[in-house]
Amino acid sequence: MRHLSRALFALGCALGCALGCALGCAMLAPLALAAQDARLDSRLDAHTRDAVVALIDSARADGIPSEPLVQKALEGASKRADGARILNAVRMLDRELGDARAALGAASSDAEIIAGASALHAGIAPAALVRMRASRAHGSLTVALAVLSDLIARGVPGDTATTVISALTVAGAQDAELVKFQQGVERDIAQGATPSAALGVRAQGAFPAAAPRRTP
Amino acid sequence: MRQHDESDAAAEVDDVLKSAAEELRRPLRIDAALFDARVMDEVHRGAGGFRERMARLARPRTFRVSPLTALAATLVFAVAIGAGVLALRPSRARVPLSDVARAGAGSPLVQFGFVAPNASSVALVGDFNDWDPKATPLRAASTGGVWSVEVPIQPGRHLYAFVVDGTVWRPDPAAPQATGEDYGEPNSALTVVAERGSR
Repeated sequence: MRHLSRALFALGCALGCALGCALGCAMLAPLALAAQDARLDSRLDAHTRDAVVALIDSARADGIPSEPLVQKALEGASKRADGARILNAVRMLDRELGDARAALGAASSDAEIIAGASALHAGIAPAALVRMRASRAHGSLTVALAVLSDLIARGVPGDTATTVISALTVAGAQDAELVKFQQGVERDIAQGATPSAALGVRAQGAFPAAAPRRTP
Repeated sequence: MRQHDESDAAAEVDDVLKSAAEELRRPLRIDAALFDARVMDEVHRGAGGFRERMARLARPRTFRVSPLTALAATLVFAVAIGAGVLALRPSRARVPLSDVARAGAGSPLVQFGFVAPNASSVALVGDFNDWDPKATPLRAASTGGVWSVEVPIQPGRHLYAFVVDGTVWRPDPAAPQATGEDYGEPNSALTVVAERGSR
């Protein structure tokens, strides 16, 4: 009788623990779902969503901005890309964001890291981002990096674009001036100038010291 | 004789009262050293009591708990932990674009335009509206097939495109095209500057 009582007691404790754990998990599950973002639930299949959420959690833990990863996944969903393609795109962006953060420094803002990732995506080397950070140690680099990416997208060689934009930031160009500079270059290209020539002429006009030197 | 006895008793009472009154009137003399010693003795005795109480608490004991009580305690524990975690979790509420537009402060208003004379609908999609074709429809001008919309967008670099008639994705011909096409459809790039609020 005593043994039976002890066995029942042990069984009761075990059941209690199991039920408690199950209840705890059940209460924590919605919390995890909330953390993973409801936007992904409605637009990705379960397998892709879980993989994307794992990447996002890892990015958050590493101090990498996670919203661009969510947006990259949602972009893929809106464009009806399959799960593998969405995962690849999110993974690549995650890598670029991590590299940008490493190059620009952990103290960089999310906007700077996102713009830095765009520059890396455009073909800029991480070392160039380090140089850009050195050229503007205290101010925001967001617009400078965005202008750099856009100039490269317009066909300006990456090295030349980096040199000019770094020189402009060192010379104290404000964000609005950098955007105006980019618009000038784009206008010249639209009118038939080569991207390199357009960049050189505009740099000479805006900040003579920042113009790329011509080799004899 | 009886009167004599009564007066004696009264005198005796008076003497007792007088001596009691004298005793009460006498100033109280406290031996400071003795007083301190007694106070410290009480303090030590109290501390010893505390130590003893602590030792009693630390002493192992055997409790008898019924399985039902254990189950109830576990449930209470799980609920308390769950409630605590839920109470402490950070808010991750997402702000839809319409709310951003209402909040407005600090987000420059950006105008988007697209020419599509034969389109029945044009929508703006981008990383500022979750790439949702239903979120930001453009309005058609009365003539010329020009579609436009103004949207508050946070400063920074953004990617966007237009969706024509719900299915055809088009980049903005007036804006730089973003490098890389992760999903086979080109995007346009937008840089919003905080100070001036313009591209």
